[in-house]
Amino acid sequence: MDPIATVKDGFNQVAKRQKHYHSISQAVTDRAFEGFVESLVQILTKNDPKTVLTELKLKLDSLLPINHLQESQKETNTSLTKFEKVLGKSDVFPASISIDLDHQLVDKMLVEYLYRQGLFEVGELLIKEAEVEVDDQLSEVIARSLEIHRVTEPLKEKDTEPAMRWISENSEKLKEEASKLELELVSLKYWEILRQRKRPEALRFARAYFPKFASLHSVKIRKLIVALLWVRDLENYPHAEELFPLGWEEASRELTKLYYNLHDQPSSSLLAVALSAGVESLPRLLKLIRVMGLKEEEWGEMKELPVDLELGDEFRFHSVFVCPVSREQSDVYNPPMMMPCRHVLCKETILRLCLCCSTRRFKCPYCPAYTTASACRQLYI
Amino acid sequence: MEIDDPVTNGNTDAVMTESAPPFTPSPPVPASRSSQLTESLKLEHQLLRVPFEHYKKTIRANHRCLEKEVASVVSSVGDLADSNWSKDVTVSRLTSLVSRLQGLKRKLEEGSNVENLQAQRCRARIDHLDSADAENITEWNNTKLKRILVDYMLRMSYFETASKLSESCNILDLVDIDIFREAKKVIDALKRREVASALAWCADNKTRLKKSKSKFEFQLRLQEFIELIRADSYKQAIQYARKHLTPWGATHMNELQRVLATLAFKSTTECTKYKVLFELGQWDLLVDQFKQEFCKLYGMTMEPLLNIYLQAGLSALKTPYGFEEGCTKEDPLSQESFRKLALPLPYSKQEHSKLVCYISKELMDTENPPLVFPNGYVYSTKALKEMADKNKGEVKCPRTGLVCNYTDLVKAYIS
Repeated sequence: MDPIATVKDGFNQVAKRQKHYHSISQAVTDRAFEGFVESLVQILTKNDPKTVLTELKLKLDSLLPINHLQESQKETNTSLTKFEKVLGKSDVFPASISIDLDHQLVDKMLVEYLYRQGLFEVGELLIKEAEVEVDDQLSEVIARSLEIHRVTEPLKEKDTEPAMRWISENSEKLKEEASKLELELVSLKYWEILRQRKRPEALRFARAYFPKFASLHSVKIRKLIVALLWVRDLENYPHAEELFPLGWEEASRELTKLYYNLHDQPSSSLLAVALSAGVESLPRLLKLIRVMGLKEEEWGEMKELPVDLELGDEFRFHSVFVCPVSREQSDVYNPPMMMPCRHVLCKETILRLCLCCSTRRFKCPYCPAYTTASACRQLYI
Repeated sequence: MEIDDPVTNGNTDAVMTESAPPFTPSPPVPASRSSQLTESLKLEHQLLRVPFEHYKKTIRANHRCLEKEVASVVSSVGDLADSNWSKDVTVSRLTSLVSRLQGLKRKLEEGSNVENLQAQRCRARIDHLDSADAENITEWNNTKLKRILVDYMLRMSYFETASKLSESCNILDLVDIDIFREAKKVIDALKRREVASALAWCADNKTRLKKSKSKFEFQLRLQEFIELIRADSYKQAIQYARKHLTPWGATHMNELQRVLATLAFKSTTECTKYKVLFELGQWDLLVDQFKQEFCKLYGMTMEPLLNIYLQAGLSALKTPYGFEEGCTKEDPLSQESFRKLALPLPYSKQEHSKLVCYISKELMDTENPPLVFPNGYVYSTKALKEMADKNKGEVKCPRTGLVCNYTDLVKAYIS
């Protein structure tokens, strides 16, 4: 059962009951109002206030659906409590160790993140409010992000001039990846001109920029040129989507990545990477802590987590070899070894299999081949 | 190792009670999304709880107000009917009741409007949680990231930055800047050794605090009493105690007695048991207690969400390779500041081999198997094939410089 639907239903119940309550309360006040006005009129016309008032009192007692009001109030209250139960108790949140995070470090990372995202004003505010010390490293980060922003911001207005200029300035260092990106930007800009039906301008643009791609990407260039004939009906140009595998936004992102790689910086904010890893792994971590019955700080005292938190592949930065027999991670002291039958085990497992005698024959756990420890080659992954 | 839910052991943590039956039939949800949602919903408790608390408070206040007014109007009518005023007086009394009713009606409408706004806020957040699906998951996660950052900023009291960030990213209705500002006011007042704002906060949230049996208000009163003693105004202190401390006597007699005993000691006493009560550190304890009560009230974690997610992420990313030289720049642990933060955390566990090609940074799997050079260095098939195509069948190991033919390479079988 979709838990969010449950929450939604619970909340709708509360809102419904409250609406009901309001309609009843309005009825109550309206009726009382009418009754009072009527009695007032009666008193003013006739002369006996006492009887009128007693009449009014009786009328009120019978007219006013006060019982309904109270019932409705109770119902609203029950639905409120039910909804609270659905929300659940504020749950186990042990995933903080007692050591406080050094917030100055975090603040610096935050500034970096903000500048990379292009939120310069927010970054400045943060530096001021948090009294962040802007050292050399940070000022370099700031300068870089401002620079790349000058190149990618115009792309939002479909102005490719600064980007093309930057690519050509750095072309020897960028080589291949840049030329693909250049082609993408050129095609996107050309398409934009065509969309505005400026045929002569498109032709001029093509003459200026297409030639250098003509040899390697002739098919694509040909398709682009032929599109000139489709100016009036550009949406129906067959296979138009294939011409732009990236699109404006993705191209902008790729450009940013290229830029940072060129300057030997990580391609995205490291804080964002770490936090995304956290978002992905926290549910499993909490489950682990709950299942192991750990208290708040205890999880941090473990040397190694007992379970794989199964992060996505985008968080895989290093090769890892896990011996299929001993299930241990390889490191410098226990490297992977390949046997002549091409299967790979870690060194310790092999030593155990051959009983530490390097000339003794043992059978590979995966195939019928026999081999010796000395015939195994160390692998460097 | 599979994590199985334990069948034993009084695991009393709250589990999402999905006992409320569905009112409308909903389409079957795939199991993976459902379990992921359950977990992430638990973590989003704070998001939903804050507007809901406000909504609940308004509803209850409106209920009480209406009840009171209706009761008093009815009883006034009763009084009028029983008494024997003259016609004019009766008329004027009745007219005043009528105008009172009008006022009530207006108040009801206003109250209803406020409630609707708050209900809308709640709904907007529930809808936001619901909107996470496969297509916009990256954007949704992006928003979540920003929410986590705003939460951190609010707790560190960087209010301007938090507001600017929420405005720039359009997440104003997903964050609760106001309650943090209120909290800061109370904390600042406490740091200046004034209890007034804190007491006002307690009065505001009386029912909730009573339900959780909090003795925060009691502590505040005790502290005020001690301050009076410190200023040597004993008479005032006794009056104060009579007025404010006696109601708590039934439940907290021991503490009350201990503090009252300070009447007999002066503020400069050397007796340790009572000296500690006069220390200024007591105010810091009050600040901490306030923070605890505040977080408990709104279902918030004591630590900023950022700390929690960051530590989880760092631990999940922590591998021995991250600390070596030549670690790729993309790994957060390559940077000094991250390493410092990750130092006390556990390493992550890897269950399966995953090989990343040094050349192409791609995963080496069955579609892209690892190839081994004669000297033992391993790279992916795709990368080496590309290299071979460009160099007439020759490949060179980027790390050792060894050159050999593509055909000399051997495929390794890594499970």
